[in-house]
Amino acid sequence: MINSAGGITGGDRFAVEATAFSGAKLTVTTQAAERAYRAQPGETARMETRLAAEDGAALHWLPQETILYDACRYTRSLRAELAAGARFLMVEPLVFGRTGMGETLTKGLFHDRIDIRCDGQRLFYDSTRLQGDIAATLSGAAIGGGAAAMASLLLVAPDAETHLAPLRAALPDTGGATLLHPDVLYMRLLAEDSFEMRKTLLPILDRLTGDGLPLAWRL
Amino acid sequence: MTTDPAALLTLAQWLSPAYPVGAFSYSHGLEWSVQSAAVSDAAGFQLWLSDVLEHGAGRNDAILLAAAYRDPSPSALADLNDLAIAMSPSPERRLETVQQGAAFCRTTSAIWQAELTDLAYPVAVGAAARLSDLPLPETLLMYLHGFAGNLTAAAIRLVPLGQTEGQAALAALAPLCQQLAAEAQTQTTDDLGSACFLADIASMKHETQYSRLFRS
Repeated sequence: MINSAGGITGGDRFAVEATAFSGAKLTVTTQAAERAYRAQPGETARMETRLAAEDGAALHWLPQETILYDACRYTRSLRAELAAGARFLMVEPLVFGRTGMGETLTKGLFHDRIDIRCDGQRLFYDSTRLQGDIAATLSGAAIGGGAAAMASLLLVAPDAETHLAPLRAALPDTGGATLLHPDVLYMRLLAEDSFEMRKTLLPILDRLTGDGLPLAWRL
Repeated sequence: MTTDPAALLTLAQWLSPAYPVGAFSYSHGLEWSVQSAAVSDAAGFQLWLSDVLEHGAGRNDAILLAAAYRDPSPSALADLNDLAIAMSPSPERRLETVQQGAAFCRTTSAIWQAELTDLAYPVAVGAAARLSDLPLPETLLMYLHGFAGNLTAAAIRLVPLGQTEGQAALAALAPLCQQLAAEAQTQTTDDLGSACFLADIASMKHETQYSRLFRS
């Protein structure tokens, strides 16, 4: 995916739909990191993603980082409908502020809903909600411990369990992995910045994609 | 308006630590956070609990409870229960809400007019309160206070924290419980959302913690 607008700002509306038909393998990524810019007062950007994977299909949703700028207002909703025999891998990396230039998020709004269904049943629901002085919120010991980057990863696959121990071994103290169901692996990782996040995330993505991570991730 | 004393006593009973839901066996990941030294004293615990209430399961549970209260029809409760379970970030956190909820349903159905089985804890409490004609504001207030009180009791065992320090932390968070209870009355499941990433990670790490007192 290429966002030719160069970023996302208040009032924008984006919609993405992708279906992996039976037997197909589909990998979706972004050409670069996405930027959620400062919004005009009262404006909120929205992005809606609808994914589907049929029986025997493999769908990998692997966007690169979304960088939240100070005073951004951005809400996203991702919904995936999976057939029972589909493989699904999703990663959503986030960076809180342009850390390279010392920016922190002193105000803004980010609300991100992820709704995954398998055979019509709700399998996984995650709603991230950050607003106001996001940097202050992120400093909390139950929240971010001062981290400026986070990635969430979900794998729905018959071999999910075989990846649990290797992922746990690859994660720092600020990352955890668990098996929500025998075929559903969930991982959450915090890092001090996007560089540190990538150091942990890239080998994990290489492993889970069978070295099929799109080249754009390494440019 | 004064609340019916009988209603208050029912809520006090349901949400007291003596009600047999097994609340004492769950730490919501705090056991790992103490082990990893992320939480090490009274002040640190109070901040951790404040975050979990305001940005995590406290607020979300209150929203789920209120939604169950508004529509306790079997189909609405089934949907809400699926949502509550799908939101669990780890099997231990799922166990925390599923087991307490199932135990709450068993005891409550046996005594009061509420035929409920196997609902996640906040969904069960919201539905039972509605079916027993108990007021929503007080139900939310007592639920949040019970949630905070249970984690305070866990902290007193784990941090280590003196009894008085623990109770001081809980008292300091009473206004936050009031605020969250008031807000949840008008919130819907669209408002669900968490920022407690480290609490989620702690509950995943807790699965492999060497020595454990708690089931979450």
